[in-house]
Amino acid sequence: MNYDLNKFSEQQEKTSTLGALKRLLALIAHEKKNLWLALIAILINAGVNLMGPLLIGRAIDKYVIPGNYHGVLVISGILLAMYLCGLIASYLQTKMMGGVGQRMLYTLRNAIFNKLQQLPVAFFNQNKAGDLISRVNNDTDKINTFFSQSLMQFVGNLSIMTGAGIFLLCINFKLGAATIAPAAFALIFTKILSPWVKRKNAVNLKSVGGMSAEIQESLNNFKVIIAFNRRDYFRKRFDEANKDNYTTSIKAGIANNIFLPVYTLLAGAAQLIVLAYGIYLVSISIPNTSDSFTIGSLIVYFSYANSFYNPLRQLATLWTSFQTAMAGWDRISQILSLDTNLVTVKEKVVTLSDSLLEFNNVHFAYPGGNEILHNINFKMERGKTYALVGPTGGGKTTTASLIARLYDPTEGTIFLGGRDIRSYEPEERTQKIGFILQEPFLFTGTVKENILYSNEIYKDYSNEELEKALKESNLESLLAIFENGLETKVLSSGDSISLGQKQLIAFMRAVLRNPEILILDEATANIDTITEQLLSDILKKLPETTTRVIIAHRLNTIENADEIYFVNSGEVIRAGSLDDAIDRLLSGKRVS
Amino acid sequence: MADKKEQLPKKPGIFSLLKPYKGLVIMLIAFAVFSNSVNLWLPKIISHGIDDYIHSVITRIHFDLDPTLIKFSSAILFIFIFSYLQSIIQTYTSERVARDLRTRLSDKISRQSNSFIAEVNPSKLLTNLTGDVDSIKLFVSQALVSIISSVFLIIGASVLLLTINWKLALCVIAIIPIIGITFAVVLKKVRVLFKESRAVIDWLNKVINESILGSALIRVINSQQLEFDKFLKANTKARDYGLSILRLFAGLIPVITFTANIATLSILVLGGHFYINHTMTLGDFAAFNSYLVILIFPIIMIGFMSNIIAQATASFERINAVIDAPDSPETGTITEPLRGNIEVKNVNVIYGQKPALKDISFSVKAGSKIAVIGPTAAGKTQLLYLLTNLIKPNYGEILFDGRSIDEYVSESFHSQVGFVFQDSIIFNMSIRENIAFSDTVTDQSLEKAIDTAELREFIDSLPDKLNTVVSERGSSLSGGQKQRIMLARALAVNPKVLLLDDFTARVDGNTEKKILDNVQKNYRGLTLISVTQKIASVEHYDQIILLMEGEIIATGKHDELMHSSTEYVQIFDSQQSTSNYELRSK
Repeated sequence: MNYDLNKFSEQQEKTSTLGALKRLLALIAHEKKNLWLALIAILINAGVNLMGPLLIGRAIDKYVIPGNYHGVLVISGILLAMYLCGLIASYLQTKMMGGVGQRMLYTLRNAIFNKLQQLPVAFFNQNKAGDLISRVNNDTDKINTFFSQSLMQFVGNLSIMTGAGIFLLCINFKLGAATIAPAAFALIFTKILSPWVKRKNAVNLKSVGGMSAEIQESLNNFKVIIAFNRRDYFRKRFDEANKDNYTTSIKAGIANNIFLPVYTLLAGAAQLIVLAYGIYLVSISIPNTSDSFTIGSLIVYFSYANSFYNPLRQLATLWTSFQTAMAGWDRISQILSLDTNLVTVKEKVVTLSDSLLEFNNVHFAYPGGNEILHNINFKMERGKTYALVGPTGGGKTTTASLIARLYDPTEGTIFLGGRDIRSYEPEERTQKIGFILQEPFLFTGTVKENILYSNEIYKDYSNEELEKALKESNLESLLAIFENGLETKVLSSGDSISLGQKQLIAFMRAVLRNPEILILDEATANIDTITEQLLSDILKKLPETTTRVIIAHRLNTIENADEIYFVNSGEVIRAGSLDDAIDRLLSGKRVS
Repeated sequence: MADKKEQLPKKPGIFSLLKPYKGLVIMLIAFAVFSNSVNLWLPKIISHGIDDYIHSVITRIHFDLDPTLIKFSSAILFIFIFSYLQSIIQTYTSERVARDLRTRLSDKISRQSNSFIAEVNPSKLLTNLTGDVDSIKLFVSQALVSIISSVFLIIGASVLLLTINWKLALCVIAIIPIIGITFAVVLKKVRVLFKESRAVIDWLNKVINESILGSALIRVINSQQLEFDKFLKANTKARDYGLSILRLFAGLIPVITFTANIATLSILVLGGHFYINHTMTLGDFAAFNSYLVILIFPIIMIGFMSNIIAQATASFERINAVIDAPDSPETGTITEPLRGNIEVKNVNVIYGQKPALKDISFSVKAGSKIAVIGPTAAGKTQLLYLLTNLIKPNYGEILFDGRSIDEYVSESFHSQVGFVFQDSIIFNMSIRENIAFSDTVTDQSLEKAIDTAELREFIDSLPDKLNTVVSERGSSLSGGQKQRIMLARALAVNPKVLLLDDFTARVDGNTEKKILDNVQKNYRGLTLISVTQKIASVEHYDQIILLMEGEIIATGKHDELMHSSTEYVQIFDSQQSTSNYELRSK
C-alpha cells in the first residue's frame, strides 16, 4: 500500500464535493435529535425574520397610510411578541448547531488520531512529521472554522433565503421570478468556479504543510546547521517555502474573494429589477383590488429582496470557508482512507516446530525498494540468548523489525510459538515481544512516567513501590545516573539528557514489561562499557524462559550468546562459534 | 539600566507593523471607503425613486424612471469594481505582511545560537512562524478594512438617518451603545476562554507530535490505546472549551438581533407616528429601514473584529519577543587557518543548579589524537559542544592556537572544525547535499570524504547514486550508514580539527578501523578528538582523558593510565575479552 500522502494518485485524489460532504456529515449522523431541534429553531427564527417585513408592510399599507395609529400599535405588539420568540429560537439555534459543530470536530479529531494510531510504521517513515502535524492541526482547524462558525449561519441563511424566495414568488410571481433570476446566475457562477477555488485552496494547504515540514526539520536539527555554518541554508530553504506559500496564498486569496463582489453585484441587479419592474407594476395595478400592487407592497418587496440577497452575500463568504474546509477535508480524508497493511489473519498456520520463533523462507523489501532479506530461515528457542552480528546495512534491524511485526514479510512466514505471527492480536503479540529500538524515544515528562509508559502492572505504583520493583529486576543501580532519580524531568526533543541516558530509560522500560522475547537493537551502543556490564548482568538475571536477541557491533555484548547469527547482504547465517562469527565479521566484505 | 532604557519607548503596537506598507494600506482604505460610500447612497437612490414616483402620481406629471436606473446601475458597477480591487489589494497586502514577517523571523532565528533555539523550543517557533503569523494575516486582511469601513458606515448611516429625521434617528442610534456594551461584556469573558483553550490546543498538538515522532515505539509496545486516551483527554477539554465559548456566543448573537429588531419596531411605531403627522415621507420611511440594516452589520463586525485584533496583538507580542531577542553578536575577527592547538582552561558549564562540567583544563597539540572516555552522562558531549562553540562556558576559556574561540570569525572557524554528532541527523535531501552540507565543499573534497568514510560501495549500489534522496530522519538508512554519512559530512569541509562523538557506536569494528586508517592517510595533520567507549581503538592515542560526573579524573597515555587510574583499569577490564578480538584485526 502506498502510504506517501504526497504521491496520491489522481484517482485517489478525485472525489466529488457531494461525496466528501456526505462522508463528513456521516460524522454527525448520531446527532439526529439535536439536528431536528436545531432545524425547528432555525425555521422559527427564519419565520420571524420573514414575517417581520410582511407585518411591517401590512402596517404601512393598512394603518400608516390611512393614518390608523392604533392599528400600528397592535401590529407592533404582535411584532414584539414575535421578536421575543425569535430571541429564544436564535439562542437555541446557535447553541444546538454550534454544539453539533463542536462535537463533530471532536469526533473528527478523534477519528484522525485513531487512524494515525492504527497505521503502521511504514506510514510514518514515508511522510514528514511536519506535514502530518500540519494536516492534523491546520487542516482540521479549517474544518473547525467552518463548522463552529459558519455551518450555523449557513443553514440559517439558507432557510431565510428559501423563505424569502417563497414570499417573493407568492406576493407576485412574475416580479418574484425576476428578482430571484440573478440568484440563478450566482448559482451557475458558483458551480463553475467552486472546483477552481477548492483547487487553489488545496494547493495552498499543501504548501502550508510543506513549510511546516521545512521548519520542523531545520529547527530540530539546528545544531548541525550551526556547526556546519549553514545558517544561510536554513534561510534559503525557508525562503523558498515561504515564497511558495506566499504565491499560493495570494492565488487562493484571489480565488476566495471572487464570490462576494459578484454576489453583491447580482444583489444590486436584483434591487434594480425590483425598482424598475416594481414601479411599473404599481403604475399599472388597479388600486383596491385583491391583487393590487401598492407602494407598501413595493417597500415590503425591497425588504424581502434584501432578506433574500443579504444572506446570499453572506453565503459568498461562507462558501469560501466551505471550499477551504473541503480542501482540508480532502487532505484529511487521504489519511482516513488509508488502512493498515498489518491485519490480524484468522487462519492460524501452525508449524510442528516447538521453537519460540521461526523464520520460514522469509523475503522482505521496503515499499518501493530492493529486496533487503532473501529467503531467511532460522529458529530461536525459549530462554536462549541470540546475537545478530554483521556489518552495517546488512539487514539486522530489518530482521528485528520483522520479529516485532513492524512490517510483514513480502514472502514467507514468521512463526511465534508455533503460530503465524500475523494471527496474534497486537495486544498478545506485543506482550510477548519487547523491542528496544535503535533510536530511543521519550515522552515529555519524568523518568518514572517513561519507564512505566504503557505498563499495566506497575502504572499505579508509588515511587517507593516502584523502586522496590526496580530492585527486584536488578534495575535500581541504573537510576543513580539520573540527577533526581525517578522524578528527573525529560523532554521529548532536544538534549535535555544524554543519548546514553535515553537508552537506559528505554532499557528499563522494556525489561519491566517482562517480555518473552527481548530484542536489543544496538540498544546500548552509547552506554559506557561498565554500565553495559551491569546491563548484561541484568539480562542474565531475566527469567529463565526469556529469549534475548541482541544486535550489536561491540563484541563484548554478545560473548555470552548461546548462538550467533551472522547477518550480511540480506542473508542470515548461523555462525558455528563466537570465533567463527568474528572471523566472518573481520574478513566479511561489507556490501552496504 | 539597559533594561529600563529599553522599556521607555512605548512598545510598538500592531499597527506599527503596517508602516512599510503605507501605500497599500492607504489604497486599501480608499477603495473600501469608495465602495462603502456608494453603498450608502443606494437606499437613497431607491427612496428618491419611490418618492418621485408617488409625487408624479399625485401631480400627474410623467414619471421618468431612467435616471434612477442609470444612477443605480452605475453605482452597483462601481461597487463591484472597487470591492473586487479592494479584495485583491487586501489579499496582496496581508500576504506580503505575512511573508515579510516570516522572513524577518527566520532571519532572526538563523542568526541565533543553538542554545537559544533549544531554550525557546522549536515547536514554539513553529507556532510563531505559522499560527501567530496567520492571526496577524487575518488582522490585515479582514480586521483592518472591516473596522475602517464599519466605522465609516456607522457614521455615514447615522448622519444620513439624522438628516432624514433626527428624532427617529436618535432612537435608532441608541442601539449602538446597547450592542457595544453587550459585546464588551461577552468578549471579555470569551477572551479569557480563548487564551485557556489555546493552551489546551498546544497540549493537544504536543500529544499529536509525540505520537508521530514516537510512532515506532508505540507500535512496538502496542500503546495506541494509551495514546488515544491521552488524546481523548485533551480533545475532550478542547471540546468543552469550544462549547463554553459557544454558549457565550449563543447568548450574544440573539441579543444583538433582538436589539436590532427592537430598532425596526421603533421605526414602525415612531416612523408611523411621524408619517401620520406628515413629518416624514413614505420614501424616507423605506430608507430608514434600509439604513438600519446598513447600521447593524458594521456594529456586529466591529465586535468580532475586536476579537481578531486582540488575538493578533497577542501573536504580535509573541513574535516580537523572538525578533527583539538580542542577537548573538559576531565578535570574531580572525580568519587565519587553524593549526589545531587547543587549550581548555578551567572551564565550567552549569545547567540549572547542577554543574555539567567542573573546572576542565587540558591541552591538545596540533596533529595529535585525543580520546575522551567516561561513563554515560559524564559530560562528554557537552565538552565537544564547547569545542565547536555550540555552547559557551559559564566560566573559563577555550583557546585555539592560543586565541579565544570567540575571536575567530565563526564562518572560517566552522569550516575548519568538523563535528560528527552522536545522534543521526539526516536531512530530506539527496545524499550529495547531505554530505556537501557546507558551501565550501568542492567535488574533490566530497569524493575524498566519501572514500574515507567507506561510503563508495554503498552509494554506488543506489539507483541514483549520490543524487538519491533520503527520507527525513534517514529512516531508509541503517544506523551505520547514517553515521558514516555524518562522518563524510564533517570530513567534506576538509577540517583541521575533527570531533567525533561516539562515532564507533554504530559502526562495526572492521569498518571503524578502516575508516580511521583512511582518516590518518587522507587527512594528514588533522587534530582528532574522539569521544568513545572503546579503549582498544584509542590505546595508541596521544592522550586519553577520563571524564566522570563532569570532572577530569585522569589524563595521560594508555600505559600511564593503566598504572595511575583504577577507574581506567576498571573500564579497560570491562572490555578485556573484546579487546583480544579487536587486536586480531590489526
